[in-house]
Amino acid sequence: MTDLSLFTVVAGSPEPIYRQLVAQVRRCVAGGQLKAGDELPSVRDLAQSLAVNPMTVSKAFGLLEAEGLVTRRRGLAMVIAEQHRRAQPTADRIDLLRPTLERAAQEVRQLQLPATQAVTLFKSILNEQEGQ
Amino acid sequence: MSSPTNDTCLTLQGLDVAFGAQRVLQGLDWSLPTGQVVGLLGRNGAGKTTLIEALLGLREPDAGTALLFGQPVAQLSDAARARIGYVPQRSDLFEWLTADQLLAYFRSFYPRWNTAKVDGLMSRWDIARDKPISKLSGGQQQRLSIVRALAHDPELLVLDEPVASLDPAGRRDFLSELVEQVVDRRTTIVFSTHILSDLERVALDVAFLTGGRIALHAPLDELLESSVRLGGVPADIRRFVDEHQLQAVSRAAGVPVIARGRDAASLPRATSTVSVDPVTLEDLFLALTA
Repeated sequence: MTDLSLFTVVAGSPEPIYRQLVAQVRRCVAGGQLKAGDELPSVRDLAQSLAVNPMTVSKAFGLLEAEGLVTRRRGLAMVIAEQHRRAQPTADRIDLLRPTLERAAQEVRQLQLPATQAVTLFKSILNEQEGQ
Repeated sequence: MSSPTNDTCLTLQGLDVAFGAQRVLQGLDWSLPTGQVVGLLGRNGAGKTTLIEALLGLREPDAGTALLFGQPVAQLSDAARARIGYVPQRSDLFEWLTADQLLAYFRSFYPRWNTAKVDGLMSRWDIARDKPISKLSGGQQQRLSIVRALAHDPELLVLDEPVASLDPAGRRDFLSELVEQVVDRRTTIVFSTHILSDLERVALDVAFLTGGRIALHAPLDELLESSVRLGGVPADIRRFVDEHQLQAVSRAAGVPVIARGRDAASLPRATSTVSVDPVTLEDLFLALTA
């Protein structure tokens, strides 16, 4: 089964929790971390592990199903749909990242930081994460 | 705008409660479908505890009616009373008893009592069973109060600042237990707390108490997705709000600051003169309970 730690919830965000979960699965599928046939955790397990209302998890799974990212196997877990066999092309993945970086860019401008320093910071953060 | 369900757990109509000259609840109407988990939000002194006490029949209103499970709360049958679990803001435990004695005492009142659940929680939450309650820490007393409220598998759980004395780990344990309740029994939950990060995990709906009334009761997701913060010159903001038929949630000097559209899809994008930014539950709390 899929590692529960793929999912996280950020409290105090303008993004509703069900949307956070949908976006996480979308990114993991685009990146190839989740592939066709991989099982999602059960609603109950994920709700328990995140301490969120199970209806919120159901709503996220329902939306993922409607998008064709996952399919529901009768009586079994939700699985990543057939067509998602490998990671999406880099260009598509870059598109998924763009909105987040646009927000960051806006904050950089508000803070009046030089672009080079912001880029340096982003690079060092990326490296920190890789080092872990 | 909650999804309609066939049965209603709680109906309040025209509730008035005053303390002397101070009118706390003023013609308050509120109803709660069975199985809903709702967060009750309001500033200090808004009357959340008064509302909770009135809906449980612990405080007689000056006017209005309160129905629980279809019965007037003032004449609630013992059977109906046994379907309620309540964690009061102030601990009302008998401090001279031990936890075990207290639980044995309450057990005698309830036809249904989940011993396995009680034992599990007592050991997982590390509550001393044989010490006088007065010797337990504030956090342990609060946990015991929660165990007592959950012990008889209530259909309605009313929580009045239930986690104020708990540390983050204790709060997480408590939230997990609530999730369990929802998964297993579709418990109706009224959850009053100032810890919004806990609330937004478990409450699907939020209700804002201000000016003695429920000013708004809506699904949290929908509220977050249909509300925006507007910025710009007053004249531009006013025109923008009219043009897109937004409804002002809060104003500063008469100018809308936070506004709602009919739904997420109808929300306009920012223009060269008006900025449009997403809002958090905290923003909405501040706006709606001002």
